[in-house]
Amino acid sequence: MESIKVSVYRYDPSSEKEGRFVDYEVPKEEGMVVLDAMKYIERHIDPSLSLRWNCMAGKCGSCSAEINHRPSLMCKTRVDSFKDGKIKVSPIAAYPLIKDLVTDVSQNWDLLKKIPKFTPREGLEKPWKISQVDIERSKEFKKCIECFLCQDVCHVIREHNSGYFGPRHVVKAASLDMHPLDALDRSEFMNKDAGLGYCNITKCCTEVCPEEIHITDNAIIPEKERAVNAEYDPIAIFVRSRRKGGGKR
Amino acid sequence: MVEIFDYDLVIVGSGLAGLRAAIEAARVGKDKLRIAIIAKNQLMRPHSISAEGGSAAVLYTDEGDSFDLHAYDTIKGSDYLGDQDIVEFFVRQCPVDILELEHWGVPWARREDGRVAQRPFGGHSFPRATFASDKTGFYEVHALYDTLLKYGNIDKFHEQFVYDVIIENNRFKGVMAFDIPTGQVRIFKARAGIIATGGLGRLYGYTTYSHLVTGDGLAIALRRGIKLKDIEFVQFHPTGLVPSGILITEGVRGDGGILRNAKGERFMERYAPTKKDLAPRDIVSRSMMTEILEGKGFKGPNGLDYLLLDFSPIGTEKIKEKLSQVRDIGNHYVGIDPVDSPLPVRPSAHYTMGGIDVSRTGFTGVTGLWAAGETACYSVHGSNRLGANSTSECVVFGKMAGDDSAKWLLSGSGSIDLSEGERSFAENFVADAYRDKGDNDPYEIKRELWTTMDKDAYVFRNEKDLTEGLSKIRGLIEKSKKISISEKGNVYNQNLITSLEMKNLVELAEVVVYSALQRKESRGSHFRTDFPKRDDDNYLKHTIAQRVDGALQITYRPVTLTKWKPEPRVY
Repeated sequence: MESIKVSVYRYDPSSEKEGRFVDYEVPKEEGMVVLDAMKYIERHIDPSLSLRWNCMAGKCGSCSAEINHRPSLMCKTRVDSFKDGKIKVSPIAAYPLIKDLVTDVSQNWDLLKKIPKFTPREGLEKPWKISQVDIERSKEFKKCIECFLCQDVCHVIREHNSGYFGPRHVVKAASLDMHPLDALDRSEFMNKDAGLGYCNITKCCTEVCPEEIHITDNAIIPEKERAVNAEYDPIAIFVRSRRKGGGKR
Repeated sequence: MVEIFDYDLVIVGSGLAGLRAAIEAARVGKDKLRIAIIAKNQLMRPHSISAEGGSAAVLYTDEGDSFDLHAYDTIKGSDYLGDQDIVEFFVRQCPVDILELEHWGVPWARREDGRVAQRPFGGHSFPRATFASDKTGFYEVHALYDTLLKYGNIDKFHEQFVYDVIIENNRFKGVMAFDIPTGQVRIFKARAGIIATGGLGRLYGYTTYSHLVTGDGLAIALRRGIKLKDIEFVQFHPTGLVPSGILITEGVRGDGGILRNAKGERFMERYAPTKKDLAPRDIVSRSMMTEILEGKGFKGPNGLDYLLLDFSPIGTEKIKEKLSQVRDIGNHYVGIDPVDSPLPVRPSAHYTMGGIDVSRTGFTGVTGLWAAGETACYSVHGSNRLGANSTSECVVFGKMAGDDSAKWLLSGSGSIDLSEGERSFAENFVADAYRDKGDNDPYEIKRELWTTMDKDAYVFRNEKDLTEGLSKIRGLIEKSKKISISEKGNVYNQNLITSLEMKNLVELAEVVVYSALQRKESRGSHFRTDFPKRDDDNYLKHTIAQRVDGALQITYRPVTLTKWKPEPRVY
């Protein structure tokens, strides 16, 4: 039977000083994905291997890892997609390691909590009427499965301690801002609290998104425009000088 | 040392039912109740996200839909095992609760005029599946999770493995768990609890269920002597993708897709002349297996012979807009774009009609303990659930459980005292789980279980297979007591989790097969080739399974009929 070689990062911070890559040989099967290889290792070679996975269908966003240095979902990456047959799997690097391929992404739960929630306009007639076009616009961002691959690839998050929330959270804000019946203005929050200005639109996040959300073009750039308009619009400045707060731009 | 938390209400499970229950309890309790929601995985990744097609609700009475029609469809779909009073209650709640989700952020699809759109679904005689593309459950979970974050009095615990509940003198006192990332043993003391851990689908190898759905809450209830109802009824979804089992939504057929055999025939015309491909799931699954057994299928890997799901009548534009996820699944997992070619499909274990025997509000009979969602059996679905009724069920009855438990908590007070025995039980249980007790490998037992269930308790059942299956399962239960796990570490130990899940599964398998063996008739999802007719004289009744002094006991309870008399089920 044909087999593949997989190199997997192993590290248990609770008992080891440092991590290392370990090579495993796994039988190759038709249509096999990297997650299948990891499960094979756990089941047949080394049961101490830890990884987070669940649906095996690209829906739950659990099995994020770096495969040959590219942030990817293990369940959506076929082993035959690497022509030279070499596969190296390591945990996503933007977050603290728990063990092997499992990372602690919980800081995202705190960031998510900070973003001002969906707030429908008051006095709307029920049931709501919305056009399908408007539904589609915010739905693109609601597709996010929170795999945090975009956060992992983001060099602002990796290399700078800037306070930038990261692409996942801009996508979240966009999903709310672009809801046709939402009444809040999140631009000041996105600018001041979420550090949106630090993003210099290198588009790496868009490239790794397994849901193919156009993160940069459709979420980050429009959110930046909103923030800039709110900040530098002379009429807005005048209105702000008259009263605190303000409505949607 | 055991770490002890103290809450008014602890909710186990963060799927649609658990999330909805938490929100309602927080709403009703204002800030007077301290609530914990705990789950085996990260809270926003429950199996409910995999629900694709829609949520049933009567929205357009002016166009011919009605509560009576939704109730009748559900009852006929249940093969008359649904309790009609609860079905009537359920269908009336659906519209309010489904439209409310929109106010929390679910992007329901629209009609031209901007009103909510609905798509046809199997067994429904009106297009009443409210949908958001083919990721309905996903959007619902996220809207509920976002709403949950508005409440400061709900504490969230990710990745907790719950292995038992504490009950003293029929009074709930809390749950026992360990923290998966650290192995720390925890007791969540609480005056009230809601079990919302989903169904038991990973009993089967070929299934649409996520791997985390191992019936943990059901197994705990069984062990603690709580009654389970109608567990023999397991739904097989007609269109699981071969070979993985991944769900291909019924919405494909709702939007015009057609099942074809190897001869290219639209065979459903022969089995359900009126509803054809949109007959209820039990009927479509049986028809498919008949075709396959008659040799009209395609040879598949590992015995997974299959038929084809043809998307061509739907049209490329509609596929892109309404079925984008399914298209993505085809492309990624079998390398087939359904726009160009049909997908290989076969019936796949999908839903647990039975569950913990509960009242309308989810009350279990144990003071302070409720169950919600798929874990519970309200007897809405009877012996076969209609598509789009489960996400609605989770939302409607999750809300009920949250409301009822919160009101009960507000009406009383007091605190929970744990005995030394209960604390040491919690600690010893986990310590014991690490200990080697024999040579058996938990992964191997799970694999044998899957082979047994896929063969002996699948779409077609009979006395011989079920008897053989039962004896194999009892053998596996004995084996499961003599296992060893090779990994002993505390941090994210999947060996430990797999072994505990496996024990839950084998114990539940016994109930499924044992109940199925006793039911000598064919009704809904439970088809006995040796008793191919429905037998209302002897079996128009619910199966109640309970462990009494260690032994499995089966009793029966009558079905509640209101205005619909059982009649032949023709589609």
